Amino acid sequence: MDPVNPWLDPVEVRRLADRLMRPNRELGVSVADAGFDEGFVGFARDQTIPPEPLPPSPTPFVREVAATSVPPSSPPENPVIARGPFLDRIVRFRDWMHHNFTATGIFILDREGAVIFDESNHGRLHFLARSLALASRRPGASAGNVHVKIGAGATLEVIPVETAYGCLVLGAVVSDSLPPAAVVVVMEALALVAAPPVEG
Amino acid sequence: MRREEDHNVPRHPHLEEKTSDVASGSYRPATIPKHRVISIAVSSQKGGVGKTTVSINLAHSFARAGVKTLLVDADPQGSVGLSLTRQSRLLTGFYDYLADPGIPLDRLIVPTRLETFSLVASGQASDYEAGGGGMGTHLARVRAFLRSIAARGFDLCLIDTAAGLFGVTGDVIASVDAIMIPQQAEPLGIRSVPKLLEGLSRLRVVNPRLNVLGVCLTMVQNDLAESTEAAASLRQLLPQEMVFQTQIPRDGLFVRASARGLPIGVLEDGAGAQVVFDSLRAEIEAKFEPSYGQQAAYG
Repeated sequence: MDPVNPWLDPVEVRRLADRLMRPNRELGVSVADAGFDEGFVGFARDQTIPPEPLPPSPTPFVREVAATSVPPSSPPENPVIARGPFLDRIVRFRDWMHHNFTATGIFILDREGAVIFDESNHGRLHFLARSLALASRRPGASAGNVHVKIGAGATLEVIPVETAYGCLVLGAVVSDSLPPAAVVVVMEALALVAAPPVEG
Repeated sequence: MRREEDHNVPRHPHLEEKTSDVASGSYRPATIPKHRVISIAVSSQKGGVGKTTVSINLAHSFARAGVKTLLVDADPQGSVGLSLTRQSRLLTGFYDYLADPGIPLDRLIVPTRLETFSLVASGQASDYEAGGGGMGTHLARVRAFLRSIAARGFDLCLIDTAAGLFGVTGDVIASVDAIMIPQQAEPLGIRSVPKLLEGLSRLRVVNPRLNVLGVCLTMVQNDLAESTEAAASLRQLLPQEMVFQTQIPRDGLFVRASARGLPIGVLEDGAGAQVVFDSLRAEIEAKFEPSYGQQAAYG
């Protein structure tokens, strides 16, 4: 009697094994193989747009979002033009994210996955963000933003941002995935917030 | 370069005595490239499959062949240390490095008489013995460790991990260049292969450059039908290139070697067993040939 095959699915085992033996660059990322569940929204590669230099005033999109999602009497200070110590700038950025995108649980990881800023206090979200950010990388291209539904009315938006200090990974819990234009604005804002202060 | 002149750490007494002859340079240099460190995790879904035996003797084989090799004990049980160093419980090790960013790599490295062979013990951070820390918790620190090794000029870093593909072991696999999987040639263990493959698929999302070197059958008993049948079934089940041709037999020599704190090739009658690990080493080198031009994952 075969001591092994009756206890498992040889076809499925072979499929998994064949995938593992092929160079990863030949493969698309399978949600099922990645171990994410039905709530996985997807890798939003089409939302990845290289950031362009930000104008010195809030972009039209920011003004639009502010006008539609927050009371007009309290426009947020744009973190881009807010200077000061790094942590202060990050806190202003956090407030700006709260205000404009109703984002909560904001955290920022550095290129090694170390936590730079965290209001989520949830290590599993960090791990999920790191995994998604790495999984969204493609050869020769920067990582794209990714989102995954983590609960009823809650989506973790993961946005890798190239900055002067390397790639930072921004994680934020939002009610629904951010539209492409919003992602671009967030990327630009974080890139400038993380930029070294310009003297004078 | 003699590491013991650089660091105030103990040398391994047995290897000092027993391996000086193999450092004479009469062995064919292995072909692992010298321009960067290659990191390989030796991991398995199940415990007790021979990871530590494979790690120690494979590392020794590479070192004998002239590859500057660092064997890292990333198993909180400290099996490598318990096998090779009497002082293992006193040594600062891998888990101490993870827990304390202030510990420099130099404090961890235990040189041996074989100039190309160094060890890192698991360390004394006892809170990890209970499996402390979820996966991802130590990813940054593990990658920092691998970068430090690259800067120290090692060619190969072989990491003996704890069983399972989670926790610190998951972080190691999410950071290394490659993984090899010892698998005991017995039916129960081989039935766990689907779970192993699923786990590796998940980790490969985190580490897309992870090169799966393959499964190495261990504790093969040619005089036991269940063992040989299980080995044959695994070879039938998996792609040919996923199972090493070299099989590690169950042999009393391994028990004797660990009792004396030595790699098996250092025993007086260990030459035959050493050939097995030299063969395994050659298979691994061949698997790395096509990727010589690639950069290390995080080294």
